[in-house]
Amino acid sequence: MSCELKERERPGIINPIFTCQPCGAQYASIGIKDCIAIVHGGQGCVMFVRMLLAQHFKDSFELASSSLHEDGAVFGALNRVEEAVDVLLMRYPHVKVVPIITTCSTEVIGDDIDGLIRKLNKKLLKDKYADREVHLIPIHTPSFKGSMVTGYDVAVHDIVKEFAKKDKPNGKINLITGWVNPGDVTALKHLLSAMDIDATVLFEIESFDSPLMPDKSGVAHGSTTIEDLTGTADAMGTIALNRYEGAQAAKYLESKFDVPAIIGPTPIGIRNTDTFLQNLKKMTGKPISEALVRERGIAIDAITDLTHMFFADKKVAIYGNPDLVIGLAEFCLDMEMKPMVLLLGDDNKTYPDDPRIKELKEKVDFDMEIIMNADLWELERRIKDKEIELDLIMGHSKGRWTAIDNNIPMVRVGFPTFDRAGMYRHPVVGYEGAIWLAEQMANTLFADMEYKKDREWLLNVW
Amino acid sequence: MPYHTFKCSECIPAREMHAVIKGPGEDLSSCLPLGYLNTIPGTISERGCAYCGAKHVIGSPMKDVIHMSHGPVGCTYDTWHTKRYISDNDNFQLKYTFATDMKEKHVVFGAEKMLKQNIIDSFKAFPHIKRMTIYQTCASALIGDDIAAVAKKVMEEIPDVDIFVCNAPGFGGPSQSGGHHKINIAWIDQKVGTYEPEIKSKYVINYVGDYNIQGDAEIMVDFFKRMGIQVLSTFTGNCTYDDLRGMHRAHLNVLECARSSEYICNELRKRYGIPRLDIDGFGFEPLSASLMKVAMFFGLEKEAQAIIDEETARWRPELNWYAKRLKGKKICLWPGGSKLWHWAHVIEEEMGVKVVSVYSKFGHQGDFEKGVARCSEGALAIDDPNELEGLEAMEMLQPDCVLTGVRPGEVSKKMRIPYLNIHAYDNGPYKGFEGWVRLARDIYNAIYSPIHQLSGLDISKDEIPTDKGFMTRQMISDVNIVDDGNIPAEERPYTGDWDIVTRLRGKKYPKLESQQLGTA
Amino acid sequence: MDDVMKDRIEQLVDFIMKWCLWQFHSRSWDRERQNEGILTKTIQLLCDEPVDLSTPSDKCYWVDAVYLANGLKKTCPWLNTMDKKDLKILMQGLKERIDYLTINGSLNQELTNPLY
Repeated sequence: MSCELKERERPGIINPIFTCQPCGAQYASIGIKDCIAIVHGGQGCVMFVRMLLAQHFKDSFELASSSLHEDGAVFGALNRVEEAVDVLLMRYPHVKVVPIITTCSTEVIGDDIDGLIRKLNKKLLKDKYADREVHLIPIHTPSFKGSMVTGYDVAVHDIVKEFAKKDKPNGKINLITGWVNPGDVTALKHLLSAMDIDATVLFEIESFDSPLMPDKSGVAHGSTTIEDLTGTADAMGTIALNRYEGAQAAKYLESKFDVPAIIGPTPIGIRNTDTFLQNLKKMTGKPISEALVRERGIAIDAITDLTHMFFADKKVAIYGNPDLVIGLAEFCLDMEMKPMVLLLGDDNKTYPDDPRIKELKEKVDFDMEIIMNADLWELERRIKDKEIELDLIMGHSKGRWTAIDNNIPMVRVGFPTFDRAGMYRHPVVGYEGAIWLAEQMANTLFADMEYKKDREWLLNVW
Repeated sequence: MPYHTFKCSECIPAREMHAVIKGPGEDLSSCLPLGYLNTIPGTISERGCAYCGAKHVIGSPMKDVIHMSHGPVGCTYDTWHTKRYISDNDNFQLKYTFATDMKEKHVVFGAEKMLKQNIIDSFKAFPHIKRMTIYQTCASALIGDDIAAVAKKVMEEIPDVDIFVCNAPGFGGPSQSGGHHKINIAWIDQKVGTYEPEIKSKYVINYVGDYNIQGDAEIMVDFFKRMGIQVLSTFTGNCTYDDLRGMHRAHLNVLECARSSEYICNELRKRYGIPRLDIDGFGFEPLSASLMKVAMFFGLEKEAQAIIDEETARWRPELNWYAKRLKGKKICLWPGGSKLWHWAHVIEEEMGVKVVSVYSKFGHQGDFEKGVARCSEGALAIDDPNELEGLEAMEMLQPDCVLTGVRPGEVSKKMRIPYLNIHAYDNGPYKGFEGWVRLARDIYNAIYSPIHQLSGLDISKDEIPTDKGFMTRQMISDVNIVDDGNIPAEERPYTGDWDIVTRLRGKKYPKLESQQLGTA
Repeated sequence: MDDVMKDRIEQLVDFIMKWCLWQFHSRSWDRERQNEGILTKTIQLLCDEPVDLSTPSDKCYWVDAVYLANGLKKTCPWLNTMDKKDLKILMQGLKERIDYLTINGSLNQELTNPLY
């Protein structure tokens, strides 16, 4: 009885868990104020990502395309990037940051965007935009490497590298959140504020949840400023919550500017949140307050009413971003549940070295699988072939048919969660997130019991 | 000259000829925007890519087919869970998407061997599916993999499967439309005529250019079957691969979305002599005319008239109820390709609204000829719109509702203009007589939403009215409606069901069956 | 052509533009064929002359022509007051105008593309 690490054996994908790198880079870019990225490739690379973001957030985000057409594919398309930069800057006078994100097509044709940016810095920006602050950042994210997760990681690193500049210590810490929702950022900032810690949060995405204003001024975009990014070099430390989303940037700041880095853990569940607070205390010297003890206590109180009564021995499948999946698995274990299968959606070669995965392998005392380079067919096939029986699925909305067709209740977490209302507004991190997750899981199981008439009378009295 | 330059596009003079305002006395010889040209980079255009046009619009609605993208994972991920082309095959085509998962080593060394393994694995995973379409992507196009050769080999090794290869990489052409074109031509080149369909009626059509969004095609096919007409294939909504291979045996091609599939109709006419009849499936008058035209071709006028009479009697009073309340409301018709001209005139005639703008994300000048011909004076027609131009247009025109896609709709929402999703629909289907009423109802519900009324109140500045606990849509919409005793009693809001498609499945068609038995 | 005739032709054109699609195939030679096919049969219908229905193409033009003839008679009732000779002259003028708007005077640059 143990936990095994496996890999998808089929060469191809049936029902992907992730999309490709450029999506991750675009997700990083929209967190920055006055920033509109240009995706150098076919128009689909940007149109579909904007659609995906709109599905998840029910809002539109600004991203541009270099609109690669056939002639560019044959002769090279750097001229289209140059034109895109010029057109974008002319029409959006507030734009200061323009990441230029490559895609598989433009990487295959070998367009040298680094060289082009050097040229534009010398010519176009000096000649035509001399009175404007404009930063062009090359970000290489071909789709045939990694996934949206690595694309995000690469982009965060490249953006921080572009701006971080040593000045004077600013007394802040850098908090690199990883791929999270606005609700997560709110929860994290609440914890920071409860410890009286001043932080540069990468990225400030609370403003993704933007209002419908009477004066029509509502716009969905991030709020991280250039000053925030520049100041990352002056922090007293960096905590990158997600090993796979942002750690590269943290390590860069450590090696280049001696800003000590702590990588992980994703603060999902009580234990990991405790560790996060401990790390904050270690890094800043600030105490963990009585108020936080109380807040933790409310979470434990709420969860205790669910664990041995309803969660014990419930079998769960979890898929999505790796740090999210691992964090959820650890939390589920603490809540007496049995994660039967974890699906990590890309072929990152370092998963076996992840100490958390090693810990699962060594300590889990029932049959569990962690599948690397997984797709959703790996999950569905196991269910259809009766290799596993599940009580709950936790994952993003693109796996919904597996749950629906096999009558397994599903809690939507991760990205994207478009088939439930407002998920991005709620945290999965911190003590608040622990309560939200546990109660979502419970209520999902309860509704399922009623539909299936499976001891639905149990809830008559709870 | 009717060309309209947006303030936000003055710095890109090439945009000047891409928008027109139809003025008095303008006709098509003077008033037509340019269309289907390369996109200006960096404009934040609404356009997508040719792969989308091929796989997502036309390919994937085929319901008994494995849809395999040969390339990295993103393309297939993006065209999955992003449209509502349903089927009566338990939505197999909605639930499963396939990619060969190209990696760096394949870019360097080629991926044909891996493609072959993928094809075999996928057929093994779904033993009841014997058909596959392989879509080229930017990556596989650039590395030059010979997908057709691999497919041919597999078909030789596994004789009961058939594979269609569609080479429409994303960069092929200015927009989605390049993909429509390529898949149309590829389908007739490779597959039409390779299968002999069973002919069950004296009257045989292909219904072309309907992708069964929320059941649109099933509604239309129901009308044809009620008349005793065999719909040999629908290109491609709710249709099987093999039925579409038999397109050459139809007597008539009934063409709905000319933008995406006039190419195959033209080729079918050229190669097999099958005439092309363009129809409008939306709106009572155009739909009645269209059903009658198809019927007349076969001498089935009586059958068509019976359907038209029945449907009109049932649904006209409800359409009229909404038309009364939508009168004069300004809308922007901002679809991708053809709805701008399907709806531009009839929506004004039958729902009373005023179309102040039409646009097309990926259409050609032909779509604008139809759109400008049908829209009213003063309407603003935009080719290849971009985000700033859309914002400027909304500011200028102050519409009451925008009919467009999800993401641009979210932009209009922020402008306090409610939007209706006309790509995947809100509560469709919108084809047919009942469907048209559903569209009117959805527009009504969007415009007269009490929450929409509340969104304009600035509680920090404005006087807050405290005299009401709630408002209903009718309280808002009926302000100017005077009950002078002349309102027909049967006018009423929509009384149909939520789901009007499922009950069509498994329905019996006596006229068609008697054709089959030769007893007609 | 006098103003009355011009104005009448524009009324007929307006109906076609608002309600018909047969005039908008994607190539100029198809538009020539369509305009010829449908308008010829429309004139025959309006003049109570026999219509050739021998080929599928003929039948396809005819269904559009029937709709057009009926529609024009309803929206332009003055048609019913005209004699055959004047009708034919008017409809010939209509054909020339439609040919101009959809072919010769059209700004659609794709009409001459040799491939579909």
